[in-house]
Amino acid sequence: MKDYPGKILEIDLSHRSISLKDIEAEMLKQYLGGIGFNARILYDQIPAGADPLGEDNVLAFAAGTLVGTPFPTASRTEASAKSPLSGQFGTSNSGAFFGLQMKTAGYDVILVKGQSSDPVYIAVEDDKIQILDAAFLWGRECWETVDILEQKHYGAEIALIGPAGENLVRFASIENGRYDGWGRSGLGAVMGSKKLKAITIKGSRGRKVHNHTDLLDASRKGQQLIKSASSYMAFTEYGTLNASITYGKNKAISAHNFTLGTLPNWKEIGGRQIVDKYGSRHVACQSCIIACGHWAEIKEGKYAGVKVKDLEITPVMSFGATVGLGTEAIIKASELCQRYGVDMVSAGGVLGFAIELFQKGILSQEEVGYELDFGDDEAAFKLLEQIVNRKGIGDLLAEGTKRAAEQIEQGERYAIHIKGMEIPMIDPRGRWSTWTLGMLTNIRGGDHLRCRNPVENLRYNDRDEDYMKERFGFKQSMYDRLDMPEEQKSKAINLENDTVDIPEMSKWAEDLINLFNSVGICIRPPVMEKVGPGIIAEAVRAYIGLDITPAELAQSSERAWNLIKLFNLREGEEADASKFPRRFYEEEIDGEKLDESKIQAVLERYYQVRGWDSQSGRPEAQTLRRLNLMWASSETRDSDEENCD
Amino acid sequence: MKRIVINPQACNGCGICQLVCSACKAGQWHPAFSRIKIKQMREYNINVPVVCQHCSQPPCETFCVMNLIYQEPLEGYVLRREERCIGCRACEIACPFSAAVFDPIKEAVVSCDLCGGNPACVSNCPEGALFYMDEEQTADSKRRQTSRLKLIPSSAAGLSRRASL
Repeated sequence: MKDYPGKILEIDLSHRSISLKDIEAEMLKQYLGGIGFNARILYDQIPAGADPLGEDNVLAFAAGTLVGTPFPTASRTEASAKSPLSGQFGTSNSGAFFGLQMKTAGYDVILVKGQSSDPVYIAVEDDKIQILDAAFLWGRECWETVDILEQKHYGAEIALIGPAGENLVRFASIENGRYDGWGRSGLGAVMGSKKLKAITIKGSRGRKVHNHTDLLDASRKGQQLIKSASSYMAFTEYGTLNASITYGKNKAISAHNFTLGTLPNWKEIGGRQIVDKYGSRHVACQSCIIACGHWAEIKEGKYAGVKVKDLEITPVMSFGATVGLGTEAIIKASELCQRYGVDMVSAGGVLGFAIELFQKGILSQEEVGYELDFGDDEAAFKLLEQIVNRKGIGDLLAEGTKRAAEQIEQGERYAIHIKGMEIPMIDPRGRWSTWTLGMLTNIRGGDHLRCRNPVENLRYNDRDEDYMKERFGFKQSMYDRLDMPEEQKSKAINLENDTVDIPEMSKWAEDLINLFNSVGICIRPPVMEKVGPGIIAEAVRAYIGLDITPAELAQSSERAWNLIKLFNLREGEEADASKFPRRFYEEEIDGEKLDESKIQAVLERYYQVRGWDSQSGRPEAQTLRRLNLMWASSETRDSDEENCD
Repeated sequence: MKRIVINPQACNGCGICQLVCSACKAGQWHPAFSRIKIKQMREYNINVPVVCQHCSQPPCETFCVMNLIYQEPLEGYVLRREERCIGCRACEIACPFSAAVFDPIKEAVVSCDLCGGNPACVSNCPEGALFYMDEEQTADSKRRQTSRLKLIPSSAAGLSRRASL
């Protein structure tokens, strides 16, 4: 354990300097890797109140601890910076093969600081790190850039931005090769503000493994666990699209900017049978045994020839439901987003917002230049192109719904966001669950991927009067097999009443997902259902020889979550920002609307469970002491006092 | 005469075989050291694992100037005396599958030796895309599959990607 081979690579673009740092054993044990490292490093390095698109912002890529091993789904890399969209901790997770190359080049974390005056890209090949001129790449779309860089750096993995990132669109994404990406939080704009077009990375050294046989055993055990999950077969065939019809039936999709709840022909547009029609083959990320991605191809019609790795629920919901497009247009839209380098969820949200404003007569034809309507793909793509290039009305919309709504009179009612980040796909009015509470408590704003009940039962949709519970609905054997400490399990799941306690489960689910993001494994439901701290501890022990118990693992992910919360509080997060858009409390869908006071009560329970102040949501001193975060607390207090002065 | 048989229909490109191979054979966890390589054919939407086929008339054997490549007499495995390899990489070019791999640490070209009869890639493949079976058996299961196709329409034959060879 003394000589952990991973290094922190720091690249300062202002001074064009490169430095290497070791990762201390203590930091490894306390934060593990991935989002944990990012939280720790960015908390130190980004000064309070820094401009997200300024010189002070730091962009960090951190590969998960287990990336580079055959542990199932260990492929994920976390990218973080202060988000230009929410002004808080911005972070996003992506799979594919970038993390593997980072690890084998010898780096656990890559930090990009400062700002370059000219377009550059960073080429890393083991110890050789170059900052190269990227004038010939600037302005090119993503796929073209990947083609050029693949020729120049054979075998390298590429993280890059497209025109959206260059033009500082606030919801631009960083693309991970052609088809994957760090989508949410607008990290592409951060990269664009640094004038950094791409990072290519290639590693040729394997990592030393503490114990080969144990690691292979742990990986095989992990594979068996995941394969025994109830959702495994469905996921290998249809990927994330499994849930789409269920949510349509529950009237819980974001149809037409969250006005309809469902669409009459939703089954044909977004049902999982579109995989049979357009998909051809399953694609996996490194070490994945689920392979939820599909190669999709449109063979005939208007969009003939479009070929992407796609058919995921995210584009289907954000373009199919929010914007109301047809299936082929959805596939085309996701191709466009990948080429422009823009977050699909936010892009769909902004388009839906603009179309509704146009329909309500708030945006006029003169302002837009053409007519906008739900389901009109040509107009939607034209507007998307304008947003990406910041032309005409697109310049305003490129600021995201929150900022755009502040500029447009009467616009705020139609802006569907939490803390500046557009809400994805699911409508809590149709189905209230741990997942939807997670949108309020998410450390990166209105997003669905940081909290998800590992035993979510989509068959049931009955709302508890006080919003505190959802139906468990599985057999006792499912309960017994959950990899979760007994004490926590009995608090979160009540077998007698067959219910899941939402605040308790939220805390567990958030910590579990944060743990996954730290060690670099995926949050697909079969993994969430079966993999827990127990098996992860085995794998970590075998891989790096770090002696860590499952309880310590769970605590380290909780530590990172609390530290990110402290980061957000330092950036001025207010307690009443954790609210759904007004529309969800005031307008009914199918006779359902949310009850604000009851949700507030759930939120307060959640704060208590976390050991946070139930009103302000600030971590209490004893929680911080338990998590060894007192150092951060005093800093927070100091900066508060400065602000008061 | 057992060989590694590949079913590209089932391969999802996860790369676990590459990691396991590199770990077992080179003590490194990196696909570059692996003797089995997955080629992602994006134009055909398919992933094909490529590995030494242990040809009965191996071109690599003909091309090796040092005469280090030989066929094991009992099973016909194509093996090499790696320690004396000069690293000219002629065999790599000669191989129609490009299944010979240059190991930068050993400074020698290496290829699949079937792990002495229990290939780690096959036992660790989670998708059932790799098989270790007799040539006769391979041909027979192919015939069986084809007969099934001739009998019933393909959709009813249940030829999903998990169909075994």
